[in-house]
Amino acid sequence: MEETLTWKLALGIARRDLLDLWRARMLLFFFILFPLLLMGMFGYIYPQIPKSNPTTGSISTPYPNIPVSLIQMDDGKAAYAVAAQFIQISGQQGLFAVSESASYQAARDQLIQGNVKGIILIPEGFSDALAAGQPATVEVTVDETNPTLGSILQSEISAVFSIIGSSMSTQSIQRMAGDGVNPSFVMQPISVTGVPLISGVASSFQFLAPGFMALTVITGSLQGVATAIAREKEQGTMDGLLVSPIPHRSIIFGKVMAQTVRGLIQGFLILGLSMLVFGVQIYGSPIIMVVVMLLGTASFVGVGIIMTAIAPDQETAQMMTMILQFPMMFISGILFPIDQLPTWMQLIGKAMPLYYAADALRKVMILNATLTAIMPDVLILIIYTFLTMTAAIPLFERAMRR
Amino acid sequence: MSLQGSELASSLDGRAIETHGLTKRFGSLTAVDHIELSVRKGEIYGFLGPNGAGKSTAIRMLSTLLAPTSGTAKVDGYDVVRQANEVRKRIGLVSEKMIMYPRLTALENMMFFGSLYGMDRDKLRKRAEELIEMVKLTPFKDKLVGGFSSGMKQRVNVIRAILHDPAILFLDEPTTGLDPQSTQFVRDLVKELKQRGHTIVLTTHIMEEADELSDRVCIIDHAKIKAVETPQGLKDRYNTSSLLEVFLELTGRELRDSANERMPMRTPMGRM
Repeated sequence: MEETLTWKLALGIARRDLLDLWRARMLLFFFILFPLLLMGMFGYIYPQIPKSNPTTGSISTPYPNIPVSLIQMDDGKAAYAVAAQFIQISGQQGLFAVSESASYQAARDQLIQGNVKGIILIPEGFSDALAAGQPATVEVTVDETNPTLGSILQSEISAVFSIIGSSMSTQSIQRMAGDGVNPSFVMQPISVTGVPLISGVASSFQFLAPGFMALTVITGSLQGVATAIAREKEQGTMDGLLVSPIPHRSIIFGKVMAQTVRGLIQGFLILGLSMLVFGVQIYGSPIIMVVVMLLGTASFVGVGIIMTAIAPDQETAQMMTMILQFPMMFISGILFPIDQLPTWMQLIGKAMPLYYAADALRKVMILNATLTAIMPDVLILIIYTFLTMTAAIPLFERAMRR
Repeated sequence: MSLQGSELASSLDGRAIETHGLTKRFGSLTAVDHIELSVRKGEIYGFLGPNGAGKSTAIRMLSTLLAPTSGTAKVDGYDVVRQANEVRKRIGLVSEKMIMYPRLTALENMMFFGSLYGMDRDKLRKRAEELIEMVKLTPFKDKLVGGFSSGMKQRVNVIRAILHDPAILFLDEPTTGLDPQSTQFVRDLVKELKQRGHTIVLTTHIMEEADELSDRVCIIDHAKIKAVETPQGLKDRYNTSSLLEVFLELTGRELRDSANERMPMRTPMGRM
């Protein structure tokens, strides 16, 4: 009976908090904009790797029609043939917008001015080398002020030349060995084919989206609860709650509920954007996803309450959550897999509940994992919930009357 | 229903508030030092003192927002520490900061705070509308209070505090910052609330207001009580017609400039 009342009161407090957000139109606008911006931004700046297939001769690129300069320093027939093939393949695949330059110096000026992103130079003696049966070299310069684009450009240019090269070797092998030999066997006796775990293409967004959803829900509620309570403290309305005969737990639960709903809304905005714009697909159950996000929130919101109990004002509370939130974003495997971090950082990352929530959410979304399959993550989140809440509630109640 | 001994005693002797050795320390600062208060049922008790004398701290302890360092306090017969919830059911608070949400309408604010007292929704609505009518805000009841003038806000703030018909009402500087019309309205409202049987503890820096409204005044300074008497009694004793003269006589004429090394946070949580 008393428990029901506690929750009923909490529900009333949560409803009021959400009504407050609904009425603060400008806040609401940024509330919606924030997750979209976060996902949109990281989605676009996240380094993407072009995929090439030398056998079929197809290359897929994240950046179509990159402007490059081509300089022809060799007069030989073979050099012109290779250049023509390069321009043809670039055009077909939409990889580069090729312009020709008279000299390296001229092309370099163009690159510094930003008109082109890369320079491809076919040096003197290219045709002679090929005619003499020697491997010939193409020189490539890329815009090093943009390392991501530079490395993509480098690998795409290499891929195009390897397609040209492999058609040349096919001809050579056939000439030398006749029809009885399979040229691809000579060139590449072993090839590797990737078999995806789930049909469809796993893009980096597929990795990013669940991570950002978990991040938004967890940090949103952490920061939200801390600032919401601190704000009420400062504006004086907390006195109105505390002077009434409601259990203090109702205040905590109410704030947590409101912030969780806010977090879930933002999480699903991220999901929606990812699906519509970045082609992310859900392979698992949306219900399990919600369960994981709720558990994620519950596991860490206690820390926000502890901070409220300690912080003297809203600004300090905000700063404290920021300090916790920022490293968490980088070392809990949200932006990149945690395995590439130094061991000690991995340990800190794995001490954050966000790591487990993101991991579980990823498994559900991408691998269609069942609740049983993610049980280790779920159990850890439950343990976190229990630990943080048992610390937070008494601390909050004591801090209330200090 | 049987009354327990202490309740019976308090209801018999008619004390709304009774404290013994009530003390609050913040680190090295003693904000309230062993004060003995005795507020009678149904009176308006003027609680006066210079800034920093300890009035607000005392009121926060009596309204269960702050735990005393030592001593006891009973409000309507209930201990503010051990029976805090019983006390909360019986008190209303108008504090320095207005207790209302700017993005709720007047009626919504009333409904929200009323719901915290477990009042039946229909009854609550009826009572809220009556009170809004009493302070002449019916045309504005569905407008967001964020857009209200200070006077309108304070009227909402006062009726918010009496929604659940509390026996005891704490009014901490209810007329500060209001225009003369609103000030007069709030003063009349305070008298009206006394007529309705509420016990009122009123703090104010305006001595004429204290003189006009209070049945008795308590003057507190440097965390200690200096005098408790009717305004007339005090004026007679000091042979003057102004309570302000009495006040300055008792508390001195120097300015009270003092600063703590550590800024005291008078919020219920987080003193750092």
